[in-house]
Parts: sequence; C-alpha cells; structure tokens
Amino acid sequence: MTRPITTKIKAQYYGEDLGASEGLLVAVARLLDPLAEGEALEVATENLSVPDDLRVWCRRAGHRFLNATRENGKSIILIERGFVRRTLADPPEWGVRMPRRGETVDMRDWQVGRHATIDEEAPIAGSLAPRGASIEEGAPTIEFSIRKRSDIWANAISELYEQATSSQWVGARDIPWQELAPLDEEVERAVCQIMTFLAENEYAALYVPARFIGQIHPHFTEAALFLSTVMVDEARHIEVFTKRALANGGGLGVASAATQLSLASLLEPKDFSTASFLLSVLGEGTFLDLLAFLEEHAPERATREICRRARQDETRHVRFGIAHAKYTIEADLSAARRFGSAVEARAEFLKSVSGVGALIEESLIIYSGGGMSPSSLRAGTKRVAQLYETMHANRVKRLAAAGFNSDQADHMSRLHTPNFM
Amino acid sequence: MTNPILMGAVAYDPKVVPIWDGIREYMKEAGPGMDYVLFSNYEAQVDALLSGFIDVAWNTNLAYVRAQRRTSGHCRALAMRDTDVDYCSVIVVRTDAGINTLADLRGRTLALGSRDSGHAAILPLYFLKRQDIDPQRDLKLMRFDLDVGKHGDTGASESAVLNAVASGQAEAGAVGDPFWAKALEERAVDGDKVRLLWTTPTYHHCNFTALDSIDESRTTPWVEALLKMDYNNPKHRPLLDMEGLKRWLPAQTEGYRTLFEAVEEQGIG
Repeated sequence: MTRPITTKIKAQYYGEDLGASEGLLVAVARLLDPLAEGEALEVATENLSVPDDLRVWCRRAGHRFLNATRENGKSIILIERGFVRRTLADPPEWGVRMPRRGETVDMRDWQVGRHATIDEEAPIAGSLAPRGASIEEGAPTIEFSIRKRSDIWANAISELYEQATSSQWVGARDIPWQELAPLDEEVERAVCQIMTFLAENEYAALYVPARFIGQIHPHFTEAALFLSTVMVDEARHIEVFTKRALANGGGLGVASAATQLSLASLLEPKDFSTASFLLSVLGEGTFLDLLAFLEEHAPERATREICRRARQDETRHVRFGIAHAKYTIEADLSAARRFGSAVEARAEFLKSVSGVGALIEESLIIYSGGGMSPSSLRAGTKRVAQLYETMHANRVKRLAAAGFNSDQADHMSRLHTPNFM
Repeated sequence: MTNPILMGAVAYDPKVVPIWDGIREYMKEAGPGMDYVLFSNYEAQVDALLSGFIDVAWNTNLAYVRAQRRTSGHCRALAMRDTDVDYCSVIVVRTDAGINTLADLRGRTLALGSRDSGHAAILPLYFLKRQDIDPQRDLKLMRFDLDVGKHGDTGASESAVLNAVASGQAEAGAVGDPFWAKALEERAVDGDKVRLLWTTPTYHHCNFTALDSIDESRTTPWVEALLKMDYNNPKHRPLLDMEGLKRWLPAQTEGYRTLFEAVEEQGIG
C-alpha cells in the first residue's frame, strides 16, 4: 500500500539569490525551530547552488530534505523538520511588555512575564541567568547559599535600586575641591583624623556586602543589584574621605586598634541578615547622625559637601537595612532573637573598647568647636555630648522601625559599640 | 560475566579522548561497559583488529574496505552514525571559472584531499569517471596529501582544497559533504569565490567493524546501548556533537560497494 505524502508546509521563505553561507541558513534554521517534527518548510530560491547546499546541510542539521523542483527560474525546496531540538530549552517568552513611567522604564515595573514570579525559595540548581529566562538543559548548576527570599529581600528594593543608580555622583568632580584652602592647623589635623576614621569604617561597609554578593541566587536579582550599588557608593566614600585627608596639607591619621577591632567584628557574622543588621541598621544608622554632625560643623565647603553626599547615600543603605531586618523578622520571629544575640555577642567581644577613642573624640570636639581655644573647646565638648544623645535616640527609633519594642530597642542601642559603626 | 568490548579508534584530533572517555562512561552506566585504545593511523588499527588485539574498530570506509579485503569478507559492520549513511562528496568550483556543468571541468585543475581519503580523493575520482570525466585524461590533479594514515579525518586536506579553489590556485576541488555543510554554516565560504557545482551519489562512510567470528552476545548489548544514546539528552549531546552525529544506526553495508570498486579500479589495495 502506498501512502500519499502528508507533510504539512508550515512555513515558507523566499531567499531570492541569497547564498547558503551568505545568511540563508540563518532563516532556514530559525524557521524550522518552531515546527513540530514532520512539519515542513518551503524555501524558494533563485540561487543555483542552494538546493544542493541545503540538501547537504540538512544531513548535518538533522532535518530531512524532501525534494527540490524547478519552476519559472526558481527552485522550490521542501525541508521536513527532524527530531532534533536545536536548543534543549522551553521556548522563549514573547509578548511581554513592561509598563512605562513617563519616559522611563523603571525596575519597580519589571515584574512581568515569567520574570514576575519570585519564589520564597530559589531552586537549588542555580545558574547565572535572569529570573524567568528559559535555561537550557545541560547548563552547569551553580550553588548559591543565599536562596531563601527572607534571607536577602527587602520591600521597596526596586525603588531603592532606581534611587541609587539615579543618585550616583563623581568624587573627582562633584566636590568643590578648588575651594580648599589652608585651615587652622589643629582643625586640619582633626579633619584628617576624622576622614581617616570615616574611611576605615567604609572599608567595612564595602567588604561586608562584598562577602555575600556572590552567594546570592540570581533569582533575587534585585537584592544582588542593589547591594552592588551599595558597594559602588562605599568605594566612592572611601575615595573622597581619603582624598580629603591627603588634599590640604595634612595626611592620613591613625587607625586605632579599638576601631579596627570593632570593624573586624562586623566581618564575623556568617549570615547576611545578621551582618546587615549590625552594619546597616546599627552602624550605618549611627553614621547618619555622625555625618549630619560633620556636615553641620564643617570648616569648609568641600568637607561639608563630602559629608552631605555620603549621608544621602548612607540614608539609602540604612533604609535597606531596616526594611530587610523587618522582612526577615516578619518571615521568622526567631530572627529578632538572633539579631539580639549578635548584638550581645558583639558587645561582649568589644568590652575592652570603652569609647570612640581619645583621638576621634578630641578631633570631633576641635572640629565642631572650630579650634582649640577655650571657647571653641567648650562649644565642641557640648556639641559632641549632644551628638551621643542624638545617636542613641535615633538608633532606638530605627530599631523600632525594624520591629523591636521600645525596651528591646533601648537595650540594644546601649549595647551598640561606642565606636559608632 | 561477559568480557567487555575493547574498541580501537584513530586519534585524529585531541577531542577523540573526551569522545571515547564519555562513551566509555556511558557504556559503564548502560551496562555492557567497554574500553578503548587509540591508534595513530588506520592501517595499524586494522592490523590490531585482524590480530585480535581489539574487538571492534571504529573505521573509515577505506579502513573497512581494506579489512574486508584482507579477511576475504570475514568482517562484520556493527553500527554507524546517521551521518555515515547518505554521505557524498561535493565538487566545488571557482565561481568565476565559467564552470557550469561537469563537462566544463575538462582541462581544468581539480584539487583533491589526501590520497587515502575516501570522500576527498578516491570516491570523487570514481564518480567523476562515471560521469565521463577521466581523471588521467581530462583533469590536472592537485593533490594535498596531508595527514596520510588518517584517511581524511582531520579535515586538513579539505581545508587546503577549499583554500586552493578560493585563491584561484585550482578551478575546482573535491571535499566531503559534512565539511562543506560546516563551512556553509560557519559562513566560511565566500559565495562570490566558491560555489557548489555537483554532489556525487551517496555512499557510506564510517562504521564499527568486527571480525565475523566475534560472539554476538558480546556485540549485541553494546550496539543496543549505543543506539539508545539520545541527542535530546543533555548528557549525550556534547559527545554526539563532537563525533558528528545525531543518532547511531544499525550498520548498513550496501553503500560500500562503490568504494570496493574504486579501490580496485585505482589500484589502492
């Protein structure tokens, strides 16, 4: 019994005189892809070599060259799709369109298509692919230790990311360096010591997220991207604080053992949430008050601008820290206890550290008083005492925002390192 | 417990090691197991098959024909690649040489691959003769005898043929169709300089060859496991891609007839 040829022509392409190696194979391969095994593509060509070229290519590509006929100076070629899937992946998405915000395309609106699905737990088999991309079978799997959403997420993280990228500034250009002029020597010495101290602290703020970023499953891409902006921010802060110490006749000051001990302890926590809580909620939170204080009492405009811009960036880091702590505690109440224990443990570890250290405290007094005259010192001393109170009061507020009651918040704030960060 | 197959292959490229290591691993999981040894040339491999040192030889068509001739037909083909079934040779020409039919080849220079390449030398000449083009009388032959002993596997002589035609040293050339298809796909062919003129009738290329005295209880499970390799399985795909196939097929042998005749006719032995 003979069977009629029942091949269904599902796609057609007119290749004019285009040669196989001049691009025709691109069209042929792409048009065959979506067909089912046994369905056919019809190619019309005026190029005399193309029928044989396609016959030979079909063998290589795993398709069936059915026939070629000539009519009116054209060859009509029929190719039946073979069993081979060129890519071992689900078909790509099509028809997805993010809404616009005026002229812009904003990360807050990118929860569309498959990209919109954010799981509470990312798959164990991780890959370096955007969430929702169709990953080919056989791709290597990469293990990421941060694959629970509550271990890294914060509400409004996309908004924070957009804010961060649109607020970037340039250390070399955006600080009025040209206005720097010689200062009173004691004031310059204080500025240099404070800048050294700020830079030390920012190294911790750079290296803490750096230690975790490579462990974040790309499923939680918003978190990985936001923390990248934090790192860029911190790099710029280190840059401008260091430049300020070096730029006006002074130089880098002392990195005290107590400060270094306090900062080293920030690198200890093995889980991101605890590290972020100590660094961003308590440390960088306290720094907001320090930077506001330094901005207010700055002896010249370059230093004032450095502190103002750094504070703006840090405000975003603190917002993330609080939002992440809140998210984590809401997902798992035991996280609050974990954070509490981490604060206790750090206080215990740092019990040899009784204050911010003479060098820093004296520098802050001279800086905020405007020199070493009796009246300056009197004013500076008062201002620094006031700063400590402000720092404590604001820390308590931030802890409350993260989800602690007022007793817990007050207790934790008092245990926080006298070293600010 | 049966004695696993010891297979021979010719090391024509460094990728031969990962291919057969991968298939060895696969065979271990699939059941029958196997091991392999590498030879530097097909003549040594055929000697090893005939002396019983190896059970199965992964042979080119010329190596298969030689093994059959030396044993008076006491060899058996076990399996082959899907791409070995409808193999052909491609005659390419310089686009501006004014060659539009096979008859136009007369008096021209034809570049050929290695003299022991079935697809780039022996069979193109055989088939041209049947189109009334006598190589001795009608053509000036430009031979690229590269990697002799490897029967054209390395592709080096086919590259030389294509370059000779593209550069105008030769007006025509012969290559295997997989080489041509790959060059097209990689857009390595300048259509203004080189184009396909003719494809020969199809013939068979490689196969796994054994002596017909081998116990089928050893070869059958091995061939069955081979046929189960699946191109749509991400573990198998890289191995099959490297070896240039989409699936293994049981051996067919009618397609070797032309090479038997060609070897006889050309006195290759």
